Amino acid sequence: MDPIRSSYESDPDMLEIVCDFARELPARAARLEALLEARSYSDLQTLAHQLKGAGGGYGFAQITEVAGRLEQSLKSGSSETLAKECVAELCAILRAVVVPETN
Amino acid sequence: MNPQVPNPNRVLVIDDNESIHKLVVARLRPEGLEVIGEDDGERGIERAVSSQPDVILLDIGLPNVDGFEVCRRLKEHPSTRNIPIIFLTGTTDTESKVRGLDLGAVDYVTKPFDQVELRARVRAALRTKRLQDILEQQSFLDGLTGLWNRSYLDRRLESELNVARRYGRPLTLVLADVDHFKRVNDSLGHLFGDIVLQGIAEGLRAYARRSDIVARYGGEEFAILLTDTTLRAALHVSERLRMSAENRHCEARSEVVSVTASFGVACSEDIGGVLTPEELIRAADLALYASKDAGRNCVHMYRDGELILTTGDPDALGGSGAT
Repeated sequence: MDPIRSSYESDPDMLEIVCDFARELPARAARLEALLEARSYSDLQTLAHQLKGAGGGYGFAQITEVAGRLEQSLKSGSSETLAKECVAELCAILRAVVVPETN
Repeated sequence: MNPQVPNPNRVLVIDDNESIHKLVVARLRPEGLEVIGEDDGERGIERAVSSQPDVILLDIGLPNVDGFEVCRRLKEHPSTRNIPIIFLTGTTDTESKVRGLDLGAVDYVTKPFDQVELRARVRAALRTKRLQDILEQQSFLDGLTGLWNRSYLDRRLESELNVARRYGRPLTLVLADVDHFKRVNDSLGHLFGDIVLQGIAEGLRAYARRSDIVARYGGEEFAILLTDTTLRAALHVSERLRMSAENRHCEARSEVVSVTASFGVACSEDIGGVLTPEELIRAADLALYASKDAGRNCVHMYRDGELILTTGDPDALGGSGAT
């Protein structure tokens, strides 16, 4: 997957908090995988909901899009396979995010 | 305290996601808004009561107490009822939006939010709030003198007495009545009477302390509420207010008229019995009548059932000079 950059990293109001947010994403990916492994679907849904709400606001539209699909699949309880696919896709995105440089 | 429009610039965010707090701060600070936050419904309600924000951004999916319940309680609480609430939430279904708005929220913004839209919606809510505040404040102002009116004074008296009782602090009420006002009105006309009342009001406002609440209580009667003030300290203020009336000359159509006022003072610490607004007003009123009976243009205090003339009495004033 290509590196992913925030669409707001050139906005001086946003740079610092985009860095903080981006830096925490690998840990969130690990948490998603752990929750899936433990079948803690309600906590997984909460985390997906939070990523959906915050991702786009930090300039990562893809995070919102995939986290939204994950939340929806868990809410409807459609299939574990679908949830698994969404987690894998989301984690790949979270790990591809580049933390912007600050001077 | 003089009437003034409150500072309209504080936003409270209630959301359990820290990333959202930071984002809202970054997006609203350039608007000149102060952003404060809580991550829990209960704490959010407490913070709204203590900090009196001008707008609340409220998440729905909160732990323990959800956003709908928080909204319902904020709309029930007298001190937060008028604060506009905007739901800021990832819950996008129509049913939730309708429920939130029916609970009294002014708006509903979904996450991820568009920053331009959020700013515009917050601005709109602030505009409405400002007009509401002005309307509410005007309903507490006296049109002729610009002082607080009786309904404001009654409301403050009630709440300040609660504070006085709870923390054992003294609260003093001064009632003032313009002497021979009917004579002024009858001989020089009601318009001149109005000028006299405005002049007296100006004097009271100028010579009261910043923390004193000066109100027109009705007709030619004024009331001054002195928080955290003992009887003795209030007597000094009252004497100063009496002189402010005495030294004021009202002019109209080449007529120059001097008017005086009579004063009655009562303090929560010295009235005995049950401490109610009615009892404090009654005690100050008795002292005011004693001033009228004693020839007007003087101050009486009510102390433990006694009415005592204090104007020109250095013992009553205690010679401390404290104001």
